[in-house]
Amino acid sequence: MIDNGLLVQMLIGALLGLSVYLPLAAGQLSLATPAFYAVGGTLAALLSTRWSALGATADGGFPVPSLLLEMALGGLLAGLLALLVGRLVLRLQGIYLAIATIALVEIVRVAILNLPFTGGAVGIFAIPQPFATAAGYLLPALALLAVAGWLCQRLERMPLGRAMAAIRDDELAARCMGIDTTRVKLSAFVLSAVLAGSTGALAAHFLNTWNARQGSFDASITTLAFVILGGSRTWLGPVVGGLLLTALPELLRPVGDVRLVLFGLVILLGPVLAPQGLITPALLERLGGWGLRSATDRKTEEAQP
Amino acid sequence: MIETLLQTLLNGAASGGVYALVALGYTLVFSVLGVINFAQGALFSVGGYLTFLLMGGRIGVNGALPGWGLPGGLPFWLALLLAAAGSGLVGLLVERVAFAPLRRRNAEPLLALITSLGAGVVLVNLLQLLMGAEGYAFPHGSDALGGLPDALVIAGARIRTIQLLLLLISAAAVLALSLWLERSRGGRALRAVAEDATTAQLLGIHSEAMVRLAFFLSGALAGLGGGLIGVSVSLPGPYFGIGYGLKGLAVLVLGGLGSVPGAIAGGLLMGLAEALVPSEASGWRDALAFAILFVVLLLRPRGLLGRRTVEKV
Amino acid sequence: MTSAPPPATALSHDRSGSSGPIERRQRGALRLAALLAAGIGALAWLGRSSDPAAKPLTSGPLTLGAAIAFTGNANLYGQDQRMGLTLAERWAQEAGPPARPVVLQLEDGASDEPSAIAAFNLLIRQGVIALIGPTLSQQAFAADPIAQRQGVPVVAPSNTAKGIPEIGHFISRVSAQSSVIAPLSIAEALRRDPAIRRVAVFYAQDDAYSTAEVAIFQKALAARGLTPVTVQRTQLADNDFQTPITSALQLQPQLVVLSVQAVAGGNLIRQLRELGYRGQIVVGNGLNTPNIYPICQRWCDGILIAQAYSPELNTPVNRRFQQLFRQAHGDRPPPQITAQAFAAYQVLFEAIQRLQRQGGLTDVSLGQARANLMAELLSGTYDTPLGPIGFSPEGEVLQDRFYVAEVRMAPGGRDGRFALVREQGLQEGQP
Repeated sequence: MIDNGLLVQMLIGALLGLSVYLPLAAGQLSLATPAFYAVGGTLAALLSTRWSALGATADGGFPVPSLLLEMALGGLLAGLLALLVGRLVLRLQGIYLAIATIALVEIVRVAILNLPFTGGAVGIFAIPQPFATAAGYLLPALALLAVAGWLCQRLERMPLGRAMAAIRDDELAARCMGIDTTRVKLSAFVLSAVLAGSTGALAAHFLNTWNARQGSFDASITTLAFVILGGSRTWLGPVVGGLLLTALPELLRPVGDVRLVLFGLVILLGPVLAPQGLITPALLERLGGWGLRSATDRKTEEAQP
Repeated sequence: MIETLLQTLLNGAASGGVYALVALGYTLVFSVLGVINFAQGALFSVGGYLTFLLMGGRIGVNGALPGWGLPGGLPFWLALLLAAAGSGLVGLLVERVAFAPLRRRNAEPLLALITSLGAGVVLVNLLQLLMGAEGYAFPHGSDALGGLPDALVIAGARIRTIQLLLLLISAAAVLALSLWLERSRGGRALRAVAEDATTAQLLGIHSEAMVRLAFFLSGALAGLGGGLIGVSVSLPGPYFGIGYGLKGLAVLVLGGLGSVPGAIAGGLLMGLAEALVPSEASGWRDALAFAILFVVLLLRPRGLLGRRTVEKV
Repeated sequence: MTSAPPPATALSHDRSGSSGPIERRQRGALRLAALLAAGIGALAWLGRSSDPAAKPLTSGPLTLGAAIAFTGNANLYGQDQRMGLTLAERWAQEAGPPARPVVLQLEDGASDEPSAIAAFNLLIRQGVIALIGPTLSQQAFAADPIAQRQGVPVVAPSNTAKGIPEIGHFISRVSAQSSVIAPLSIAEALRRDPAIRRVAVFYAQDDAYSTAEVAIFQKALAARGLTPVTVQRTQLADNDFQTPITSALQLQPQLVVLSVQAVAGGNLIRQLRELGYRGQIVVGNGLNTPNIYPICQRWCDGILIAQAYSPELNTPVNRRFQQLFRQAHGDRPPPQITAQAFAAYQVLFEAIQRLQRQGGLTDVSLGQARANLMAELLSGTYDTPLGPIGFSPEGEVLQDRFYVAEVRMAPGGRDGRFALVREQGLQEGQP
């Protein structure tokens, strides 16, 4: 039912979900992920098709190290852009920030469409392939997801992560506690951009082609839906949301023409039925507590005389 | 020179009027609930198609019921009003399904972005299933307007009659709405809820009823806009409202969320700015709206005419 | 954003020291992550490329897969293509039982690149003999390389961008590039009025088709020593052209050339006329559909269009196609894109029948059958509703006839036809 190609798309969805999650973990509703995704993808498409030093072969092959280099560069460029833009937009609050980041997505989209070297409406095509089959893309996608997941898991215990959580709960209080809120928010924003940029570089090769349509307003909202439906309080929420919501339209194929109506209903009813999302902290605690209760109980019993 | 200037002003006002109408729909809902209804663009489409059907238009070969149409055919103005009311009802339905359950659970407002978007996806795809993706023009085209000429020439500047009408009707609708909000009991009640729902409740204003009223009115505004646009440029497919919805969002924030005069000023400003883009650079025109928005937000974080709200302590 | 754990549980966790809520949550996250990783691993294993190409070809009917846009913006074209494909299926059944039965499987290729890839992958895994689609050129650049790598023949019914057949040996198309068609209508307009000097050009700047076509138009104009007085760029989603039209009309053009998609084009024509333009209008191939009649109504009258398909072509197969279309969809001529989808099915169907009779489909693996079919497809010629067509060795369509038509609207202004003005052979037509 789910072939490797779709699985790669699901992993890309999970990565983009994480990218939206990171600023949200610091209380910032940023919808800029598709802009950074587009920047990373465009960079990879340009480098691999125009810069022969990366080693694209005549029959459309491409060395894997060059792919990794592109992912790093895509992340770097997106991160730099985020550093630049973040200083400006992160002063905005709530829905104003959301709209300003949507504006960024639209500006980047129009720029990619109009710049003289990005192929205009058709975009860039014949992007060389590091792998012979879709299965090859599973490895870098999984590796990127593992690194991002590990980082998010670690964040909870690191000062940065704690500061992010504090800002999310109450920004004013966090500032009073001496947290440099601007710096923390910017860090989360840049991390999110790096992740989206690297994902874009990978996606450009996977999709064989890249154009301005890849990062759009629609994508802003879909990726936000990943986070909301999956759960925005733990990093696994957006991962699960991204995996499931990317697969859903494909799994709904058997129902035919109404599949997007059903997809819309899921997005509509999901938050109503599960306002916290699928993966909640409570669920994780229960999961973490399994098989543990008995062990601690025994320990307390032994300690008693 | 004067001629060019006047032409630019007319061009800007023509598209700006529509933007204001869209933004005002968002504004009504935002001012009472503090959330953005992402289904607004889809309601725009609904209004356009409803007007078409009420005027006796037939469904094309790719629709669910090819060749089907409502019996008879209403004159344009009546159809437009009924379609506005119909879109208002669909707006109510959106409120019932996508907003009310969240409000009852006291869920965070962020969720409403997603549920309303879901409602929009459902509406647009249902329209596509019912009507197909082809373009529709109104049964009588601009002939519906009676014996008016196709275009007017004002001091050398040209504008299509329908666009001028569109501008006038938008202006009338916007004016009527502002007056109603200022003067009437219902309007004051709505504003009271917008200011402070709890206090309004204490004063005996039924805030749930006011929320529903806001959704009905904003749906009706969208319907009105959709119908008018439909006559002006036909219905280019079920997605046509989404583009206006996105532009309206920029206008909404530009003017200041929840501010009625802000929505109007923002709309006209946006229309004018776009009309000023020379054709060589028209590829960048769609970015202009958002670039302006971006700059305005950086200078005035709450939009041009936005109210300052007290930060929570 | 409030979802702190209930205080009661928090307290009880705090007492147990090493397994406080954060530790539990982290442990839970690790467990769930491990579970997910295992799940993804299992999915990867189950979905590994079980390419059916190595399996022997079964003797039953062959499946043609079509990935066409049934959802999203491109459904505007997809729905017309679906008609063409289903009509072609009916047409193929009329001639009695074929040497090798063919069944058509339609999948939604949607309007975006990932969906087109998913639809192609799905169909290829189901063992289709060949593919038709996807709807948009941008999608073709994403999905076609996948078919190419797995050796599955693709016939594109509507991709007109430069570079599509060059994706690889297995990729071909029946949709002629605009370079061949576009100059003809310019020539016709200038033949009617040789005094034309001032030309205004409009095109949709974010549309792959229009940007390619307008370059051809400009070249054709330049060949006549004409430089446009203005080039107005519009966007695909634009339908209100007040600003570009008024600024173009200030330069008093004698000829307007449009390259935009159908609905926008209809609007552009109507608004040009309403705003007072009276000269000739030449439109691109994207407007070759009766869908524009209801949009520009009486104002459509007199526009010149170069066509890759003429409903008025008087050949048996086109007459039959027209009949089938009118039976199914009412009394109106079929759009070009429907005829092209019909032709895409037809060329594959006929190639399969020839191959079956030659024995190229017996005792071979599916992969070999696909390769044989591709070779057979390219070597044949086909009498389609588009006229006689064949393929270059790269898979580019070689179309024998192109047409220039003038739209003539019926008195009510609600319906009209593309009246054939000129028919042009390949030699004259290809510069």
